[in-house]
Amino acid sequence: MSGAWQFYVATLVIYGFVYIIAASGLNLQFGVTGVYNFAFIIFQAAGAYCTAVLTLGPSSANGGFQHYILGLHLPFPLPLLVSALVAGVLGVGLGALTVRRLRADYLAIVMLVISLIATGVVTDYQGLFNGAAGLALIPQPFVSVTTSLVVYDWLYAAYAGVVCLLVLVAVRVLIESPLGRSLRAVRENENAAAALGKNVTALRLLVFGVGGAIAGISGSVLVAFAQAWSPSSWLYAETFVLFTALIVGGVGSNLGPVIGAVIVPVVLAEGSRYLPQFGPPTLVPSLEWITIGVVLLVFLWFWPRGILPERKHTFLPASPARPLTPQPTRGLVGKNLDGEGGPGR
Amino acid sequence: MQSLALYVGFGLVTASILCIGAVGFTLQFGISNLFNLAFGATMTAAAFVAYIGNAHGLNIWVSLVLGTLAASLLSFLLNRGIYLPFRRRATSRFTMIMVTLGVGIILQFGIEAIWGGDDFSYNMSTGSSVHIAGMLFTTTQLTVIGIAVVATTAVHVLLRYTRLGKAMRAVAVNERLARNCGISVKAVVDSTWLLSGALCGLAGIVLVMDVQVLNAGSGDDLFVLIIAAAVLGGIGSASGAIAGAVVIGVVAEVAAGFINPEFKDISAFIILAAMLLLRPTGLFSSVATAKEVAR
Repeated sequence: MSGAWQFYVATLVIYGFVYIIAASGLNLQFGVTGVYNFAFIIFQAAGAYCTAVLTLGPSSANGGFQHYILGLHLPFPLPLLVSALVAGVLGVGLGALTVRRLRADYLAIVMLVISLIATGVVTDYQGLFNGAAGLALIPQPFVSVTTSLVVYDWLYAAYAGVVCLLVLVAVRVLIESPLGRSLRAVRENENAAAALGKNVTALRLLVFGVGGAIAGISGSVLVAFAQAWSPSSWLYAETFVLFTALIVGGVGSNLGPVIGAVIVPVVLAEGSRYLPQFGPPTLVPSLEWITIGVVLLVFLWFWPRGILPERKHTFLPASPARPLTPQPTRGLVGKNLDGEGGPGR
Repeated sequence: MQSLALYVGFGLVTASILCIGAVGFTLQFGISNLFNLAFGATMTAAAFVAYIGNAHGLNIWVSLVLGTLAASLLSFLLNRGIYLPFRRRATSRFTMIMVTLGVGIILQFGIEAIWGGDDFSYNMSTGSSVHIAGMLFTTTQLTVIGIAVVATTAVHVLLRYTRLGKAMRAVAVNERLARNCGISVKAVVDSTWLLSGALCGLAGIVLVMDVQVLNAGSGDDLFVLIIAAAVLGGIGSASGAIAGAVVIGVVAEVAAGFINPEFKDISAFIILAAMLLLRPTGLFSSVATAKEVAR
């Protein structure tokens, strides 16, 4: 492959890993626990901004053309870890706003409004993260290793892959643990979970925190590669893309977020790159969004459980003394995401 | 205090626009038990229909009626064609949010695909400036306030004194009981979508008449404040939506102008966050409580 092609493929691979990390964080919140966090993207943004201001030098550098807080110039692994921590704490904080248990769709639109207002706040406050223009020239980690741009890209892709793998393993361990069972119990029936002695509020705050930290990690990995971050990088529609990715891939399943993240943001959003340029410059990106919207509606109508539906969790005894009658699989899992009753409620 | 009055005046104009939209949005939720996130894009679509009429030489007020009717019809069709079929399948509430948001995204970017990212404006005069008690308005802005007052009064009269309005309120509080009392819920829902769609379109068009700029994202920017106003006032309550619109509109403009432009979004956020913690059902909470939006 030529250098340009390798550069392009490596960039796609890195973006793919970033989306997989983010989608698995959202899957933990939305798919496993049933927390409808429509402000998910602001935690990715928090991680990205945090990494940016921790790796950049003081604000007065580069002729002071951009204004921001901190500017600590910390070495590589620290910004990533601090970003995860900050985004996690922010997650718990915003989650605490919803401790008064809100109806699923009410919570979703409230979080949506919070996400939009947060974009407005960061845009308005010039001194925080340089307002609408955003931050640029964010230093990349391990640039001293190689001088070749292509080699560096593949190196970074490997780093993103390792981070992605660690996150996937961690989420998998969490979901399959007894704690994961409690989280699913909260999703299926909050009152029943509470009656069994589960602290529903604490569990929800926990996934707000852990999911937020994972989103922060995705933002950190993304910004250290892209080297720039502005309010237009984290519009509310990005959250919509991640939710669509989960619904297409399979809500609550282990591999669903991976498949969904590859199909929706990477293939659908990058697919337009191969369309011949036609019409005004906004036409192709608009068609891209319309495609994502149509794909979502088609999946919700025909395959609401996604490509890889969540496996039904059953607890068979090791050696059944009496034959178990198989239950129809249309029970608790998947079909009705709110764990609600029928229509008209 | 001279300038405080000035910004209260700006706030009243914003509040009037918010009022029209918030009443429409809250009615849709009250009667259909559904948050229609395509509302913002429908506002933009109405404003563009009015723009087409206006650009073809129609008077701005005729265009306004045209755009309002278009939004009314579009909302009705969205409910009948997409939302109702999904709901008949017992689609969960959260999934309905994804459905309406998906429709909104398709609409918004459909508009952008046609008109691109450019700014447009109506061919109309803003009129002369008028001073009232330290506040400064253009005659267009006074008309906008007038339209809001007339529209919300009309909705109030409809809900309070007509058979249809009583049926709407009955469906909002308890759909099953209303059905058992012989109310045709289907007819009520259809008329609600026609009415709220008209309010939605009206809000989008008067917004553009006020700010003089129309682009594919126009409706969405206002929609955030509309949701905030409707949630603050108590989702589902028309009087609540009016109260919420006045609070959000006036506080945001006063904070932006009188204190610092940076406070515009912050103030809306603080109001909303405080409300969620203290009284998540909003100021006028009868419908919100009946629909169990928060426990």
